[in-house]
Amino acid sequence: MTLKRVRLFVVMAIAAIFLLAWVFPIIWSILNSLKTDQDVLAYPPKLMFSPTLEAYRDVLFGSAAILPNLISSFIISIGTTIITMLMAVPAAYALARLRFRGKRFAGFYVLATQMLPPVGIIIPYFLILRRIGWIDTYQGIILIYLSFSLPFAIWLLVSYFEDIPFEMEEAAYLDGATRLRTLWRIIIPQVRGGIAVTIVFVFLNAWNEFLFAVVLSGNTVRPVTVAMFNFVSVEQTLWAKLAAVSVLAMLPVVVLGIVAQKNIVKGLTVGAVKGGGRR
Amino acid sequence: MTAPGASAGEASGDLGRVLAQRERKFAMSLLAPAFLALLATTTFPLMFLIWTSTYRMDLAMPFADGFIGLENYRILLADERFWSSLLVSLIYTGSTVTLQVTLGLALALLVMDMKRGQGWFRLIAILPVVLSPAVVGMIWRTFMLAPEFGVVDYLAINAGLGSKNWLGDPLLAMISVIVIHTWQWTPFAFMVLLASLASLPEDIYEAARLDRATAWQRFRRITLPLLRPAIVMVVIMRTMVALTAFAAIFTVTAGGPGTATEILNLYAYRKSFTELSIGYGSALAVALLIVTIVISGLLFALRRAK
Repeated sequence: MTLKRVRLFVVMAIAAIFLLAWVFPIIWSILNSLKTDQDVLAYPPKLMFSPTLEAYRDVLFGSAAILPNLISSFIISIGTTIITMLMAVPAAYALARLRFRGKRFAGFYVLATQMLPPVGIIIPYFLILRRIGWIDTYQGIILIYLSFSLPFAIWLLVSYFEDIPFEMEEAAYLDGATRLRTLWRIIIPQVRGGIAVTIVFVFLNAWNEFLFAVVLSGNTVRPVTVAMFNFVSVEQTLWAKLAAVSVLAMLPVVVLGIVAQKNIVKGLTVGAVKGGGRR
Repeated sequence: MTAPGASAGEASGDLGRVLAQRERKFAMSLLAPAFLALLATTTFPLMFLIWTSTYRMDLAMPFADGFIGLENYRILLADERFWSSLLVSLIYTGSTVTLQVTLGLALALLVMDMKRGQGWFRLIAILPVVLSPAVVGMIWRTFMLAPEFGVVDYLAINAGLGSKNWLGDPLLAMISVIVIHTWQWTPFAFMVLLASLASLPEDIYEAARLDRATAWQRFRRITLPLLRPAIVMVVIMRTMVALTAFAAIFTVTAGGPGTATEILNLYAYRKSFTELSIGYGSALAVALLIVTIVISGLLFALRRAK
């Protein structure tokens, strides 16, 4: 009995350490965002302090405003999501439901594009966009984001399309409905949930992207992940403000992550489960 | 896949052919936008990249640009910084993936046995993985690792190790970026393996218990083999990501001090966009693609084996 108890205690202690380790850097950032710079830099680190929203005021409306960058991030992420979904839903339906020659190859192609290292895409893309003057534009960034959002969305959606029964489709055809009409009226409503989950993940991936954004952004279009990098330079670090920006940059994705909690494993492992498998 | 377009399959003769053709046309029109976009954003850049890699192309000295064939690759093979970045890549990838999988698996096994509190783990584990690696990198670089002000340094001082220059010392910097990556992605392995554990059949364990198998035997002989596909999948996915990690290192050390944490991916970036040698940078990116293909090929072979 006592041995069992000791074991239980050890297990709980290890578990608690993991939980704390995962949650601490996030909580610590939140705490620091509510401090003054002096409090952030206090030694030993301060757990008790008088909270202030000064840092948030500064980064939202003050001298170091990153509000335009937050808006940029939203425009890029929403733009990417809309265009991705418009292309991925029909493509995923075709891959999951229709019969045509080359289907196997098409599915493999979508998967294989993900093998390409992003740095190998951005080097040529930078040269092309520079020539046509699309550096520092929304269309430039959103276009290149399709390179990772499309394969992801297509594969995630295929798994949802495969789950709906064929009978519904057939009944619609027998009633004389066209294929497009059936897709729109019968099939799409069936995968609403899957489409919502896909939207969440596409938005999240676009929001978090950094490499393409660093290369392609300028003074007009600069998402928050890139803009906050300026808060830490060799000369000085704007401590409390950096914490506030971090929290603002984390907020949308944490909310979305918790909303999509039940589907997160599916979203994270999409493609891999099937890749190289039976299709 | 048995049923797609079953109606077309049942029809025979000319009608069947017409229907099949119509289905194909419909499929093509649905696929066209996505595939054109993928061609334009992945396949075309790849070809362009290979072409650029055969050029001397220097944004700082455009007058010297020109076709040089495989010269960039010849330089690459003799480039010490390339080999060192490849080694850093392998160390970074090998250690982060090993740590993620072992810690994730250990924790999944532990949490699986818990009667209460599983929900907390499932919730908390989401937090790191949804964050931008760029944000994670900056938080760690400042609030966790900054000398004296950083929490890690504070703990080190209190543990009697003294204040350390976590990101200024080559070895400590390497350990730091490995720990940061592991911190962010162990929850991924944990969640996937926990889901996989939860789906294992209960009755095998009953039988093993009746046979008086020890906990270790049950783990070694039952759990591990059953989890193997999930583990291999996690290893493959995480390896691909670690090989092309960018923000997680760039925002923390930018590859430094010197080139201590410069993985091949970062070297290709720095060469192209900091030193502006686009041609040679392209050759490095092609080398990275080849490394990626070789390693994933090995891992897929591992997946098929047994």
